[in-house]
Amino acid sequence: MILKALLLFLLSFGHSYAGDMLAQINARLAKTVIASGNFQQEKQLKILRKPLISTGVFTYHQSKGVIWKTLTPVASLLLVNQSHLLTNQGEQAVPATFGRVFQAMLGGDLSRLANDFAITGTDQELSWQLELKPKDELLLKIISTIVLSGDNELRLLEIRETGGNITRIKFDQISHPAQLTREQESDFERLSP
Amino acid sequence: MNKSRILSAYHPKATAWLWLLGMILIGILGSQALTRDWLETGFLALLPATEQNPEVARAVQQHNELITRKVVWLAGANTAQAAIAHAQQLKQDILQSGLFKSVVLELPQQQYVKSYQQLFPYRYQLLDAPTRDTLSKNPKDLIGQNLEILYSPIGQMQAANLERDPLLLFSRYFDAQNPVKLNLEQGIVMLHDQQRYWALLITELNDSNLQLDKLETLLDLVNSSQTQVQAAGGELMVSGMPLFTAHGSQSAQQEISTVGIGSSAGIVFLMLLTFRSPRPLLLSFLAIGSGMFAALVVSILFFGKIHIITLVFGASLIGVADDYALHFFCDSFGSKDWNPRRGLAFILPGLAIGLLTNLLSYAGLGFSPFPGLQEVALFSAIGLLAAWLTVVLLFPLLLTGFKPEHEPRILKLATYWQQHWPDWMFKNRLWLGLGLLIFIGGGIWQLTPQDDVRLLQSAPPELMKTADKIRELFPVSQDNQFFLVSGKNQDDWHRNEQRLLESLESLRHQQMLKTYQGLSSYWPDERSQQENYRLLKQTLYDSGLLKQYMVDLGFSEDAIKAELKQFKESENKSIPLPEWLATADEAKQSLWLGCDPDLCQSIVSLTGITDLTALSALQSLPGVSLVDPVGDLSSLFERYRVRASALLIGVYGLVLLGLGLKFGWRNAATITSVPVVAVLVSLATMGWFDQLFSLFNLFALLLVLGIGIDDAIFFFIAADKRDSTSLAVTLSALTTLLAFGLLAVSSTEIVHAFGFTVAVGILTALAGSPLVGRRSSY
Repeated sequence: MILKALLLFLLSFGHSYAGDMLAQINARLAKTVIASGNFQQEKQLKILRKPLISTGVFTYHQSKGVIWKTLTPVASLLLVNQSHLLTNQGEQAVPATFGRVFQAMLGGDLSRLANDFAITGTDQELSWQLELKPKDELLLKIISTIVLSGDNELRLLEIRETGGNITRIKFDQISHPAQLTREQESDFERLSP
Repeated sequence: MNKSRILSAYHPKATAWLWLLGMILIGILGSQALTRDWLETGFLALLPATEQNPEVARAVQQHNELITRKVVWLAGANTAQAAIAHAQQLKQDILQSGLFKSVVLELPQQQYVKSYQQLFPYRYQLLDAPTRDTLSKNPKDLIGQNLEILYSPIGQMQAANLERDPLLLFSRYFDAQNPVKLNLEQGIVMLHDQQRYWALLITELNDSNLQLDKLETLLDLVNSSQTQVQAAGGELMVSGMPLFTAHGSQSAQQEISTVGIGSSAGIVFLMLLTFRSPRPLLLSFLAIGSGMFAALVVSILFFGKIHIITLVFGASLIGVADDYALHFFCDSFGSKDWNPRRGLAFILPGLAIGLLTNLLSYAGLGFSPFPGLQEVALFSAIGLLAAWLTVVLLFPLLLTGFKPEHEPRILKLATYWQQHWPDWMFKNRLWLGLGLLIFIGGGIWQLTPQDDVRLLQSAPPELMKTADKIRELFPVSQDNQFFLVSGKNQDDWHRNEQRLLESLESLRHQQMLKTYQGLSSYWPDERSQQENYRLLKQTLYDSGLLKQYMVDLGFSEDAIKAELKQFKESENKSIPLPEWLATADEAKQSLWLGCDPDLCQSIVSLTGITDLTALSALQSLPGVSLVDPVGDLSSLFERYRVRASALLIGVYGLVLLGLGLKFGWRNAATITSVPVVAVLVSLATMGWFDQLFSLFNLFALLLVLGIGIDDAIFFFIAADKRDSTSLAVTLSALTTLLAFGLLAVSSTEIVHAFGFTVAVGILTALAGSPLVGRRSSY
């Protein structure tokens, strides 16, 4: 899905090393405007002895953004697109890390990823994996590596922070509906008034 | 009469020496005055000094300080990456120009880090209002919010210091310091609209009163940057008070040269056509030049600096200062045995009265509250006086042997006109009078006064549009209005400001303004700091809620103990205002006005006001007053419009009195009727043409008085020299008309209003004055 455009972009920039591999990965990915599914997020914070585990559902729309609905252990809603970020606490600044990664990962403005990340990866019969290293020094202060892996869908996103914290998000039951539900529509409405 | 006595005491050489001495003196003074920086360009310099108390004036000044220097640049492109690239290139160009003392593209990270570190020890004392609210209503909600943050995919940022700030108290407080959430890309503020990404760059000029060449450099920089960014496929928007000033000065410069060159060309043409000799032309320019030079020197000596708008008016003086010389020259056509001495003797009374009325009308301008008009008054009065003295003292010597032999065509024309026009008017007086009455009545009935500050400012519409667009994208720029909060001491001030902020918050929820900034919402006073600590102690620490929360999340025993210890040790901490202010950014620092022994004051700035009346009602709160410089100015305009009307009537009365004593009441009434009708027609024309009518038009009507009286007086005393008089009146009316007509094309409202009003007045006076002393009908 999302990776398709990303990979196309990378190809067009002629990363000769990853070129063939990215083309192959790209060919495997499902390509649609809308994607939705379940997620399980596991945050390992250095100072906490147990991980913070949350589950929920996500909806991605190519032009409208992302709905990130956490269901357990505390219900919350997060809406994000390129320029706005809404949480239950109200409008927030879009943090550079989050904005970039989510946007790029979920299909927004991909030109940024290639310029900002050094990309390496492997492509095996059953699965593929990409490692993204920020080039920007400010970003590098916060994030050391982002790992993406999957098969014909993106299955795992891992953000390794410089300070040692790790956020691992697993995606499953991914589907590609042709239309948004009414509830999803109205959530996106709130994001772009 | 005493004419012969004047003549016998009169020695052309002696007076010429006198003139020369005077000019040398002015030259010496001028060499000092003109070599320092004497030109003012800023828009604010035109505004009258505030009529309120000095505290308000100081607050206004401090509030304006940031605004007058700030230039905001937005580099736009289709991607954030490209926008940043444009902005970085732009930053280089801006730095190279050397115009700015600060250029901010990447937000100063270190400053944030430093202020974070300095304030962090006071985290249990510094709570933001929503946190305080949540704690006092239901402390468990705070825990719930924390969990939401921690489990969300963006939690990293807010929970970055979770180890030392497990409750995210300080993260909340620090976040609330910037109520408007701005997105950052590579440390650069990135704004976003439907089409484009905009990278924000904020610069501050070295000097709030830039000299002309620097203003030009600024405009050039803006233009070349715009071209450059556009060539690279982007877009650049720039706004800020300095740009308005620069554009104002640029159009003023253009207007000065339009009026100056236009008037001079008109004079050259008319003089050569009439006198066919270079002597009158050169002498005219000598009179004008001396007048202008003396005017400039004396005005600068008196005011220290003069505004560029004054020079626009000054340029129009060319057409007026020429009148005295014209009357002198034209008189030479009046009798066969003319010589300069006899000519002067004949026209001197007329010249003297003309000068007096002109000076009187310019003195009236001096009563206006506007520094600009006061400068115009002195400038013009001195200019006219010096031109007049040049004519009276120097011309008799320099005109020796001057006697035109020819009869210029324009004299024939003027003769024909002065013989037939009054008769025609007299014959048709019935319907002419009726028509005039209807015209005047109808026009004046349509007059709608306007008292608006925008009269003083001229800005190209594109600039206004850009400014609006930027305000929309970047809702941080403050409005003109602000609250001034006072208290007997710091406690009292803090209480008053808190009360105001509470009311403002509820107005904000009703969408009556977008946002506001008050110090006390960031800095709780020492008593509130103690209350905050007690609130935390009571709700979270003593109740065991904190411990439970930390255990549930998975903090270690040691971490929990450390936190409890930290909290206990911080009990008696508090941060005083000066120390807190030292950590704040410039915008917040500028909100504090300081403490006197019995008075503490601050500014609460406002952004995006939609309902000023509702804000104004908050003045009933103790120690709170709304300062509205623009609104104050408009009401000032209104008050002075009424005063100017009274002044106008007063000056007319004075003139009538003076003329009555000299020429008799009947004659005085006849003479005065010319400018009175001119004024009425002028007013009516404004009404018919839907021109802006403000106090500036009224001040312009004072000049109509001066010029109208001139015309009428010359006809009154013309006796058998009516032909040459009508030539002089026509020529001087034409040159003056040209000067003020050219002012009327100005883009600045007050300049335009002046030009239009005076031009119409002169035309009317020219048409009406031949009726004075009309004899052909008896």
